[in-house]
Amino acid sequence: MSELAAAGLLEITLRTLGVCLGALVIALLLGVPAGIWLGRRQFPGRRALLGVVNSGMGAPPVVVGLVVAQLFFRSGPLGDLELWYSLHAMVTAQVLIALPLVVALVVAAVAALDEDWEHQLRTLGVPTHWRIWLLLREIRLGLLAAVIAALGGILSEVGAVMQTGGNLEGETRVLTTAILMYTRMGLFESAYALAAVLLGLMLVLAGTLTWVQYGERR
Amino acid sequence: MTAALHVRDLLLTRESRGQRFELHVAALDLVAGEVLAVLGPNGAGKSTLLRALAGLDTPAAGVVECAAEGPVTMVFQRPIAFAGSVQHNVRIALRARGLERAEIQRRCETALERFGIGQLAGRRAAALSGGELRRLALARAFALEPAVLLLDEPFDDLDAAARERLSRDLRQAVALTGVAAAVVSHDLRRAALVCDRIAVLLGGRLRQLGPREEVLARPADAAVARLVGMGNLLPATLASDGFAAVDATHRIPNSSALPPGTAVFVGLRPEHVKVDIGRGEGEPIGKARVVEHTSDSVLTTLVVEWGGHSLRTHLVAGRGLARELRVGDTVSLSLRPEDVHVLPRDEDSR
Repeated sequence: MSELAAAGLLEITLRTLGVCLGALVIALLLGVPAGIWLGRRQFPGRRALLGVVNSGMGAPPVVVGLVVAQLFFRSGPLGDLELWYSLHAMVTAQVLIALPLVVALVVAAVAALDEDWEHQLRTLGVPTHWRIWLLLREIRLGLLAAVIAALGGILSEVGAVMQTGGNLEGETRVLTTAILMYTRMGLFESAYALAAVLLGLMLVLAGTLTWVQYGERR
Repeated sequence: MTAALHVRDLLLTRESRGQRFELHVAALDLVAGEVLAVLGPNGAGKSTLLRALAGLDTPAAGVVECAAEGPVTMVFQRPIAFAGSVQHNVRIALRARGLERAEIQRRCETALERFGIGQLAGRRAAALSGGELRRLALARAFALEPAVLLLDEPFDDLDAAARERLSRDLRQAVALTGVAAAVVSHDLRRAALVCDRIAVLLGGRLRQLGPREEVLARPADAAVARLVGMGNLLPATLASDGFAAVDATHRIPNSSALPPGTAVFVGLRPEHVKVDIGRGEGEPIGKARVVEHTSDSVLTTLVVEWGGHSLRTHLVAGRGLARELRVGDTVSLSLRPEDVHVLPRDEDSR
């Protein structure tokens, strides 16, 4: 534990939280509208699009990391942005990992609604912006499931984060990459300390969301 | 009679699995304070029509015009419960109309009481039973004080007692509010509980529209007759002496104005075929043999064989002849000529 000062632990933990929550918010902002749209609309190619989303859920993070790393690599298409080995690149990879999970779970929640759900609101004269709010309220359990799944996916992610962030001390080191590093170095005490923090975070976040979800079901 | 909603030259088209469906309605009015039953078998276009009236589907041609002040609203076949309490479900629509808090509360309470679910106001809507949910959907619609109310199979999945109670409450609500209502049903007995007029849809065409009693007693053709419960349709030929001859020895009195020699169907509602052991009410038409005797504890249905044809008739279950008669018994049949409906027998109407 001596290698890992308390201040360093706090810094890594806060960075991990910042990156994960940032990625989660972006994934929700993009994924929820996309999921609602995919779940409610019928159009040619919808099934194929759903197939892509569903396969995205099983995409190996290391492949996502590879693609993002190449995008931001100095000679890559977005190399001029100088974002390789940065928090931005890490967030980008995590968004891509979480997005299919969010979209797929929102699609499932929306598709489970009665096909006349929206028609009923229309015939009651409820305006569009209010219908969207009521829809979010209606699918809140599905949304919570999406948040839990996305959070679990990105909080425990290591491969893509390593490829895009590089585990730079004081810059891009997060809990998972630090655990990996200390394990390689044989410093198991530090690795376990970080693992305990990571598990604690997972338990607190997922536990809180599950508690809210369970309360809703009653 | 104030028409609240006009339909003129309506054409709706739908494509499903390569099959094209067209619904034509030349003219249809929904009248304030009146319930129109839209009857038809599955696939006749009843729900399609209702959705067009509600403005959910855009017609390919024609006009749907609301002439009254107030919203047009609809209650779906599977009533929808929104997340939240029963009260919240009713308030959703009222808030959207920008009403004041006190008015929202008043309308909400009135509507819930009217449909007998005032005591459920605070309960989660998702926890309601099927019957309670139907009542909520109706209360929510009535709270809007609509000019036109469209109901898709409102009595589905309800037992007979619940159906009767709900239809009574619905009738009262229509009478009190003066809303113009349309009820879609595939079942005459359900629709007949509430309606003043009947529109019969068959294969996407409006085959008959008229007052309830008229459509039940004088269906436009054999297909409509079957749909509105005229369960006895006998092929016959009109004679010159005011009878229709089913065969050489079996004749039915009628008052048809069609010329003698016309091939017709004689239509008889089961409740108009009188069965007796001695001489029956109305004009006797001969003896018949009981071949079937079934009862649902409210009605007893007898099938009797008369002139090689099966005739159905209804008796009140559990008393009189319904209790006495057995399969194989011989009975006298009689009917009133004014209850006999004669339909031209062309190939289309078979």
